[in-house]
Amino acid sequence: MKEFMMIFIGANYEELGLSPEQLQERMGKWFKWGDKMQEQGVLRGGAALHSSGKRITGADRVVSDGTFVESKELVGGYYTVAANSYEEVAVIAEDYPDYDLGGTVEIREIMQFDR
Amino acid sequence: MIWAERLRLEKLCNLTDKNEYQIVDHLFRHQYGKMVAILSKIFGLSNLELIEDAVQDTFLRAALKWRNELPENPEAWLTQAAKNRAVDLLRQINAEKGRREKVFHGAITLQINEYFLDHEVADSQLRMIFVACHPSFTNEEQIAFALKAISGFSMKEIAAALLQKEETIKKRLVRARKKIQDLNIALTYPAPNEIQERMSGVLQIIYLIFNEGFHSTKPGALISKDLCGEAIRLCKLLLIKENFRSGSLYALFALQCFHASRLESKLGSDGIIDLKQQDRSQWYIPLIILGNDALNKSMEYNDRSIYHIEAAIASEHVKAAKFDQTDWAQILKLYEEMYLLMPSDHILLSMASIYLQTNAFAEAKLALDRIDSDSMNQRRYLFHGCRAEYYEKTGDAINALQEIDLAIELCSNKHEQQYLRTKRKKIAGKDISNK
Repeated sequence: MKEFMMIFIGANYEELGLSPEQLQERMGKWFKWGDKMQEQGVLRGGAALHSSGKRITGADRVVSDGTFVESKELVGGYYTVAANSYEEVAVIAEDYPDYDLGGTVEIREIMQFDR
Repeated sequence: MIWAERLRLEKLCNLTDKNEYQIVDHLFRHQYGKMVAILSKIFGLSNLELIEDAVQDTFLRAALKWRNELPENPEAWLTQAAKNRAVDLLRQINAEKGRREKVFHGAITLQINEYFLDHEVADSQLRMIFVACHPSFTNEEQIAFALKAISGFSMKEIAAALLQKEETIKKRLVRARKKIQDLNIALTYPAPNEIQERMSGVLQIIYLIFNEGFHSTKPGALISKDLCGEAIRLCKLLLIKENFRSGSLYALFALQCFHASRLESKLGSDGIIDLKQQDRSQWYIPLIILGNDALNKSMEYNDRSIYHIEAAIASEHVKAAKFDQTDWAQILKLYEEMYLLMPSDHILLSMASIYLQTNAFAEAKLALDRIDSDSMNQRRYLFHGCRAEYYEKTGDAINALQEIDLAIELCSNKHEQQYLRTKRKKIAGKDISNK
């Protein structure tokens, strides 16, 4: 079986000014989705990311602080899942909770290396 | 009695609890209000903006952190997070103040735990209610402030609930915060001799919040249940404290219980269901009982208010097992009493529709003719709806159609519009069959 990464882009809760009530609602949906993937046994891992960070660039190792891209291009987190094809992952990604907030799911296959 | 009452109040809390994902409904929203109140007590209202931002951030983090795994006790987790936040804020505020005014760090971190004791939390929230009703705020600022600081609504949610632009709400909140700074408003109770006077403002705000929810003019959603729930919660908070109890407060609480008992049956799958058609078996009996108790309680105090009469009217409606059994004579008497106390065209309209119920057409027309439709504002469609019914019942289909078209045009609520359209079809059908 292959592994894929679902990368969540955009739908930055911080920027959208969601209320506590809406945050709770969102969280419930994420939790339900995570649960569903657990039950199906496809979930391998995942994390949510802070919007700010550091970048080290080039031979000079220039270090810069910040949020580096626009909110709608910001990677907010990822899940890795086991599946046979992109199509299967696309079905899993149907339940991503933040499409209505303009969010995007990018699906990429994880390379497997022979030992 | 007190204990029974408390128990029922507790149950009311869980009225709509589905406990989905093991999290209490509205946990975040309610915790938000609590945290803001506690932190305002510790650090003063002058830091309100800072505090609100910090609390908001706590929930943002929780929402991300809990995505994959819920903590065992979400509420305890949030409380701990709020305590940590308090310590952070202390550092932040101290840093801003410079060295001289520094609050002594050690002493305060010890005290922080005290502020989180249940009775302290309730106390902070009560103080917040009085701040929200500060006489220097306009009514509109009071509502916006209460919904934000006490009930944790976002600006967008307040704007949607009150049918205003987000920008307008933002301005109101900024103005309210500025008044807090300029007038040095503190998180304190009013002086004992001012409490009664301020209480009437508090009740008015709760009443407005409830009505905004119950008669929501928000397109698409007839009832904003959350607003009703918040109003009831605020009432309950006040009722816990003995020296805030009054006949008016109990009457207001009773009124809300009676109305809220019908919330579920008011909205059908495809639109509003009027009082006549509602499935009365769906009315939530425990709330009616609670309302009855509260109404009885309200008579044990010396004060009388418009809320007493409104609650009595609402109680007459829920008392009737069937629509036909409604005691219209009694209700009419109560409306007359209300009109004497506080004459308004809204009351006249209610009276007109009762006359129509009892086929007292001449009286209905008289009442309708006394109404200045401009004074009805957003509820003008109700006035024309009532006139349509008058003409329909007296066999004047042409005028009836004209009036109902006006009502449809003026109505901004999708569900109520749908209801009016159905009614129009009925009238139009009669019109054809008469020809």
